[in-house]
Order: sequence, then structure tokens, then C-alpha cells
Amino acid sequence: MPPTHATRLVADILDKQLVKGEEKLGKVDGLVVVLREGKPPRVAYIECGTAVVARRLGRWCERFVLALNRRFGVRDKPRFRIPWSKVKGIDINVEVELDEHPLLAWEEWLSKHVVGRIPFAK
Amino acid sequence: MKSGFLQIALGIITSIGGFLEVGSIATAAQAGASFRYGLIWAIVLGTLCLVFLIEMSGRLSAVSKHTIADAVRERFGFDFAVWPRLAELLVNYLVLGAEIGGVCLGLKVLTGIDARWWAVPVALILWFALWVGTLDIIENATSILGLLTIGFVVAAVKMHPDWIPLARGAVAPVFPPHDQSGQYWFTAVSILGATISPYMFYFYSSGAVEDGWGEKDLGSNRITAIVGMSFGALMSIAVLVVSAQVFNPLGIDLKRYEQIALVLTPALHKWGWPIFGISLAVCCFGAAVEISLASAYSIAQTFGWNWGEDEKPAQRARFSLTYTILIFLSIIPLLLGVDPLKQTIFSMALTAIVLPLAILPFVLLLNDETFVGTHRNGPIGNFVVTFTIFMACIVALVTIPLEIVGGG
Repeated sequence: MPPTHATRLVADILDKQLVKGEEKLGKVDGLVVVLREGKPPRVAYIECGTAVVARRLGRWCERFVLALNRRFGVRDKPRFRIPWSKVKGIDINVEVELDEHPLLAWEEWLSKHVVGRIPFAK
Repeated sequence: MKSGFLQIALGIITSIGGFLEVGSIATAAQAGASFRYGLIWAIVLGTLCLVFLIEMSGRLSAVSKHTIADAVRERFGFDFAVWPRLAELLVNYLVLGAEIGGVCLGLKVLTGIDARWWAVPVALILWFALWVGTLDIIENATSILGLLTIGFVVAAVKMHPDWIPLARGAVAPVFPPHDQSGQYWFTAVSILGATISPYMFYFYSSGAVEDGWGEKDLGSNRITAIVGMSFGALMSIAVLVVSAQVFNPLGIDLKRYEQIALVLTPALHKWGWPIFGISLAVCCFGAAVEISLASAYSIAQTFGWNWGEDEKPAQRARFSLTYTILIFLSIIPLLLGVDPLKQTIFSMALTAIVLPLAILPFVLLLNDETFVGTHRNGPIGNFVVTFTIFMACIVALVTIPLEIVGGG
């Protein structure tokens, strides 16, 4: 039996806004599908990060982003996987429930070290 | 939820900022001086397309709760969305520089101090307004100050234009003598490029989402698009008419902003010069606000960052930093002594080249049920947007060679 609410992975989920409550975490930059022998494929993770979107433009772009990240990055790898089980809802946005994640590392670093030091920022 | 009046304020600031700005003032004044009423139709045609596109931007956002940048990425994927974004960022950078240049020229008209000296203070004021201001304050302040541009309409009426040829010029091209037809069409193309600016759509749709529009706002969205853009068009036509009355009989070909600044003097006497200076400064400031925010909005939305003009900058660090960097980088050409009028005309031409790429997604998004549900485009809307893309492609094709050979 096909599911009644067919969800088109690429059309409906990929590139959607990822949110946790009011906080925007980024976009659904990639989807990881696991192929299983004798069973239908399973969506295992949502992938997020600059390296993931860069990969979609080409390997050169991914390498470039990873090199930039090694030199200037504030997090280990600009790539993060969210297990599908953490997805709480899909409407306009993809709502996830995460305790710890590095997705706002840049936002927080810039807020603390750059923007926060400029007057009237808070 | 905001009242209808405040919603229309968003339309008027979109219009003042996006419509009557350095590009429109320059192109309308040039058109009037060289071809009298012969190019009013270009403003009317551009406005007609713009009304439809702005209405569509608002409708898309009100129904789908997506901004255009969000919708483009979601519908077409990152691999597509990144290219129009990059192209627009480059164009916005140059246009922002031109608008800040326009503010500086307005201040030069008022004070006599050279425009280059104003670049840093103007950039600082612009940045500060965005840094501490909320969308409401910025919208309303610019809308109210922008009403000063009615000075152009007053002047146009006071100059007693010939209404019948004026009306004829508004509905159909009035061809010039054959030897001027190259310049005629180049000016027509510049007017269209200056009228239909892509950043207006990003600004307007982000404003609609930030103000929380819903399906019940579709009526006021339509009114806003029509009233706001017609207001801008009226001002633009007024600039053209005043310029036609003042410069056309004398056979003056406008080459410098200082010449354009004289346009209001015959009608408004000693008030003409300062009102021109203030109007130019306010309009260009409005445009600079809009371009800075539109750029930051569309980058933040393409990458899914937190965005919003109403939050404190520290909570929207990447968003706030984007417009900050853009503003301060954009004044570099001005500081290096690039002529603002030249930068304006060059960036209007670039706008025209990017235009087809920017409005192509409208056809698909506004017919996609998953985004607009039952509020899809009707046949007229689809015709207008297809026509606009077609026209934009021609404009782009015409502009590139003309730009290479040095413009009209």
C-alpha cells in the first residue's frame, strides 16, 4: 500500500527551512538515504552545512569550502547530520528537536566576538 | 497585525526606495530633456509590469509564508538559486554605491560640499538607521519624507505642460527624428531597467513575511501594489515633464547631475534647488535602505539564517553583518572618485541584464499550487509576467552592446 500522504523527498523536503522553535537553523541542505538489502530505502539523516551545499555545486566547491573552514572555521566540519527520528514536523518548515548541535556556531561566534561588540547591537 | 494604512506604507517605501531613485531621476530627466514627452510610455509600461510583479511577490508571500528567496531555493534547489543570488549581489553592490552617491549629490546640492566628503557620513547614517531602526520606523520615516517629492508634481503642473501631447506620449511612442533613434531606444531601455528593479521584489516579499501577511491581506496587497507603484510612476513622470518643460526648448542634453538640479528652479524659484536636493537625497536614501536590506534578506534566506529587521543585531549576527559589510564596501568606488552618474547608468544596464534571471521563477512559482494554492496567476498575470521576461531579455540583449560601445 502506498502511503496516503506521499512526501516527495527532493520537491518537498530538500531545501526547506530547518527550524527549532523560533530559531532558524539553516536549510535542509542534503538528505541521506540508506539502501537496505531486501527492504525499501530509508531516509536516515538530514544533512546541513556549507560543505553539503558546496558539494551540490561540485567537488571543487566542496574542497574550497573545507579548505576555508580549516583556515577560518569555528566548527570542526561544516557538515552536520540530523537523524530522521529528530524530525518533529514538516509544514512550511522542517521542525526538528535537537539538544546539542553546531548549526548556529557561526551565528553565536559572530554575535559574541563581532556584532555584540558594536554599540546598540543588544 | 498592522492596519491597512501601515501596509500601504510598505508599498510606498518600496515605491520611493525602488522607483524614484537615482536611476529613475537621471533617466526620466534625460528622456524629458532630449525627447520631450516622447518616452512617458516607457515609464507607464515599466510601471504596469512592476505593479503585476510586486502584487505577485506579495501574494506569494501572503499565501505561502515564503519569501521569494526562500521559495526559489525550495522550488528550484540550491544549485539554481545560488546563481541569481550571486549575480544580484554584484548588481546590488554597484546600485547601492550609486544610490549612496545620489544621497551625497543631494547633500552637495544643499551644502555645496563635494559629494566624496559625504560618502562616509552617509554610509554611517544608513548603517545606523538599519542597526537600531525597526522596519516600521524605517518604512514610515521614508514614506513621510518621500512625500516631499510631490514637489516635482507641483512643479510639473505649474509649468503648464501641453496635456494632449503629454497624454499621447503616455500611451504610444512618439518617434524622434531618425538620427536620434539610437539614443531614443537606449533611453527607453534605461527607463525600463531603472523602473523594474529586482531588489524591490525581495524587499517587498520579506517585508510581507516579516509583517505576517496572510490570505486576508491579498486585497490590500493589490491596492498597495497599484497605489504604491503608481505613486512612484507619477513622481517619475513629473520629473520627466518638468525636465521636458525646462530643458527641451533650450536643446540642452543632460550630462551632469548639477544640470538636472536646476530642473525645479523655473517653477519653484528659490525653493527649487533645495527641494531638488532634499528629494534626491531622500529618494536615494530610501533606495539604499531597500537595497541593503534586500541583499541581506536574500542571502540569509538562501542559506536559512535567522533574519529580520525588527530583532536586535546581536540576535541576527550574520544578517546584520551582511548589510554592514555591503554598505561600507559599496562606497569604495565613490571614494576612489568614480562619477556617480556613470556608475548609475552602468549599474542600471547591469540590472537589466540580471532581470530575466530574477523574474523567470515568478512564472513557475505563481502557478504552483503547493505555494499559492487557489490564488494562482490568472491569464492576464501570466501574460504580463511572460511579456516582461520577453521584454527583459530584449532589454538585456540591447543593453550589452550599447554598454560596450559606451552607452547612448
